[in-house]
Amino acid sequence: MTRALFQQTVAQDEPIEMCSVRVGQTLYGIPVTSILEILGKPAKQGVPLAPGYIGGLVHYRGEVLTTVSLRSLLAMPAREAMEDILVFEGADGYFGLLVDEVSEVITVLHTDFEGNPSTLDDRRKALFAGTYKLSNALLVMLDPERLDPVRLAEAAFA
Amino acid sequence: MLRNGKLAQVPALSPDNVTVDELTREFLIESQEGLDRMERCLTELEERPEDRELLAEIFRSVHTIKGTTGFLGFSRLEALAHAGENLLGLLRDGKLLADVHIISGLLALLDILREILRSIESTGLEGQGEDAAMLQRLHALQHGSSQGPGADSTEAPREGAPPKKKRTRKPKAAGSAAIVPLPDAEMVKPQEEIKAIEVYQAEPQTAQTRAVVNTAESTLRVDVDLLNRMMNLVGELVLTRNQILQMVSTDANLTVLSRRLDMVTADLREAVMKARMQPVSHVFSKFPRMVRDLAQQLNKRVRLVMEGQETELDKSLLEAIKDPLTHSVRNAIDHGIEVPHLRETAGKDPEGILRLRAYQEGSHVVIEVSDDGGGMKVERIRDKALERKLITRERAAQLSDRELMQLIFLPGFSTAEAITNVSGRGVGMDVVRTNVEKIGGKVEIDSRAGKGTTLRLRIPLTLAIVPALIVQSRGQNYALPQGALSELVHLSSEQVQTQVEWMEGAALYRLRGKLLPLVFLGSLLKQQEQPDKSREAYIAVLNAEGRRYGLVVDSLADPEEIVVKPLSSVLKRIRLFSGATVLGNGEMALILDPGAIATQSNIGMALEDDEPEVLDANLMDGSDEYLLTQSASEHAAVPLANVLRIERIPRTQMEWLNGMPVLRFDGTLLPLKDRTGKDAAASPEEEMTVVVCRDGERHVGVAVSQVLDVASGKPLNEAGTNVATRNAVLLKDKVTSIIDLRHIPALPGARPSHDDPVETWEADGVVEVLA
Repeated sequence: MTRALFQQTVAQDEPIEMCSVRVGQTLYGIPVTSILEILGKPAKQGVPLAPGYIGGLVHYRGEVLTTVSLRSLLAMPAREAMEDILVFEGADGYFGLLVDEVSEVITVLHTDFEGNPSTLDDRRKALFAGTYKLSNALLVMLDPERLDPVRLAEAAFA
Repeated sequence: MLRNGKLAQVPALSPDNVTVDELTREFLIESQEGLDRMERCLTELEERPEDRELLAEIFRSVHTIKGTTGFLGFSRLEALAHAGENLLGLLRDGKLLADVHIISGLLALLDILREILRSIESTGLEGQGEDAAMLQRLHALQHGSSQGPGADSTEAPREGAPPKKKRTRKPKAAGSAAIVPLPDAEMVKPQEEIKAIEVYQAEPQTAQTRAVVNTAESTLRVDVDLLNRMMNLVGELVLTRNQILQMVSTDANLTVLSRRLDMVTADLREAVMKARMQPVSHVFSKFPRMVRDLAQQLNKRVRLVMEGQETELDKSLLEAIKDPLTHSVRNAIDHGIEVPHLRETAGKDPEGILRLRAYQEGSHVVIEVSDDGGGMKVERIRDKALERKLITRERAAQLSDRELMQLIFLPGFSTAEAITNVSGRGVGMDVVRTNVEKIGGKVEIDSRAGKGTTLRLRIPLTLAIVPALIVQSRGQNYALPQGALSELVHLSSEQVQTQVEWMEGAALYRLRGKLLPLVFLGSLLKQQEQPDKSREAYIAVLNAEGRRYGLVVDSLADPEEIVVKPLSSVLKRIRLFSGATVLGNGEMALILDPGAIATQSNIGMALEDDEPEVLDANLMDGSDEYLLTQSASEHAAVPLANVLRIERIPRTQMEWLNGMPVLRFDGTLLPLKDRTGKDAAASPEEEMTVVVCRDGERHVGVAVSQVLDVASGKPLNEAGTNVATRNAVLLKDKVTSIIDLRHIPALPGARPSHDDPVETWEADGVVEVLA
């Protein structure tokens, strides 16, 4: 999805809209077009025996939404406070991504994009799609496809 | 499939089937229905070969196909339907009498037509097939030749493109001596026949259009997906309603409105559920043909009797019982009904009877498959089970006949002498049971040697909404489907320590003298390492796919009707949960799968059906069952036989009449004994538990703090006498007082309900006070 998006933008050289989210100290960006909905701090239910990256279940439009915790994926300590959820469409229906907080939409240019640095650990290399250089910070690009629980299960993420 | 909440549907309806256009799809659905109808009628025709209405019905089905195919350009279909129509025309006009060869021929035609329809459905084309033999066979049948496709007395029919004019295909040799005349009918002349054919072409068309118009006016085809979506939305509405009802308390107007919302939602839910209901005849209808073919194949004579075909069941459930039911019918014909000469020696009618019966019983539909065959021979079942090493010899010797019969539900069990292509592959009854239990149903078997076997499938009316008990473990809610739950046992913290016994790490509980394996939910879900032995607990005694065990949970919440939501594939892999749901309070709960928990915990098959033994035990030592309740800090018991129901109601509903607490129930007045020891005015919000009991003819209520358990008690004799005390009983090794229902005063003006002279003073006393 994002790859196609890159190619498009290369051709048209148009600015890309990224929804920025914060997890810990880092700012992450997700293409706005891939987000179906943002849920503000809903109540979630833990699932015993589920893989570590599963953040729990959330009631979403009459269905039960499985969520992925970015914190557990990055091996960060769980957050006590409620978290925001981004809803994506995955290979097996909708899924949610738990983040500390959703903040503003940032416009980036493809020319500011760079791939993952080689010094990044393997776990993060597998999750991150690269980074955008903002004037005062870095915006780590997330690819929803890589965060799909079905794919994470195949990659045997613990 | 069902677990996903998705339904199997007619492939022709699936929107992604791009090869088939709208018109063809319509045609396919109509033709399939027509062929189903035709199949049903054909098997009936075998019994009543002269039934004109049946013939007309069959004729119409084939005629409709022929009419539409020519228009859509399906030449194979047209040629075949046309040949069939010619034969049927003769039958319908009484020129021919339907015999077994003709019916077999028409059934074979039906199969070819179906095959072509399937091909059109998947590829949009009729596909390649050799129809010459079939056409020839039909043609031969028209001429009374019963040798079938081998007969070479007829001219070879044309192949390929259908003839431009129907007239050219009219049977030319119809006048030849080959026609089988009806016993008292005259030989038919060719001209007459042609006239007859023309007549039937004009008449049925009008009849058919009439039928179509009638149904089109009052019915509508709806996509199953749309119905699923509606059901889902209604489920949501039910949840939202539950949440609103829990919040509403202050504003009177809002209360009225929410009541209305409650009613409308309930009605809507019922209506949508109704829309998904289909009569079981949809599944039953394929059996006449199957029974006929099987019986012929096995050289048996079987008469199929079907009852209650109008009984309705949710569409998805109907789909789900199709296979188990087919298995059961096959089993009944293959293993149940004997061959004619054996039946005659046994003094039975050589024709066996297979009875399919459907009826509604409460919130379940029961489908019975019964045969009047040889019944199940327990010795053979035992030998087979030993041979297959399913049980040990020692175990087999201990089992009763009834218990032995349950062995047929074990995987890998089959008593068929030889593996036939009908059944006996060792898949069968265990599959039947697994499939039925998957949808929350139950299978029972009843058999008498020499008399026959009855298999009973008990199916819930609907799948989407399941009654469940909400249990808690480590503060989290879980829903336990009521279908698997047989009883609940409360253990106080000291009972957890003393009565849960440990055998090398395996926890056991003595339930009425038998060891029940225990599974601690908290440990199972790895929420805690060791079961907490210092807290009170509840044992939910579960019966899942023949396995009996106790699931230990921390606490119980109210039972609730839950809407099942499927889990994503990643979470399905955990296996212990069959779905999730949103509770009335807005919280979510995972739905436990009792069968999967049993599998994961290595719970073995419980062969013993201990209920009858319990009855025997009770008869022997004269003990009765009591409902153990807690009132204030004291335990008290009510004889279980007297208990009608248990209700939880807010204390504010309790009213006072001449200083007597009473409750109003559906316009009747219930005298109440308040044993909770609490002041109603002090805590109006609080709920109390009312045990409604029968006392002679009247009903009385006992308000208690909580209901604890059911236990069997032994009467106690007063020391030095042989007289049992009336007010105390030994329950769980503790002397417990029995609440004397007769001490609850009668309502003012009520006729004393007891003739017992010892107690009448009580009632009289009240009357005196009032007078």
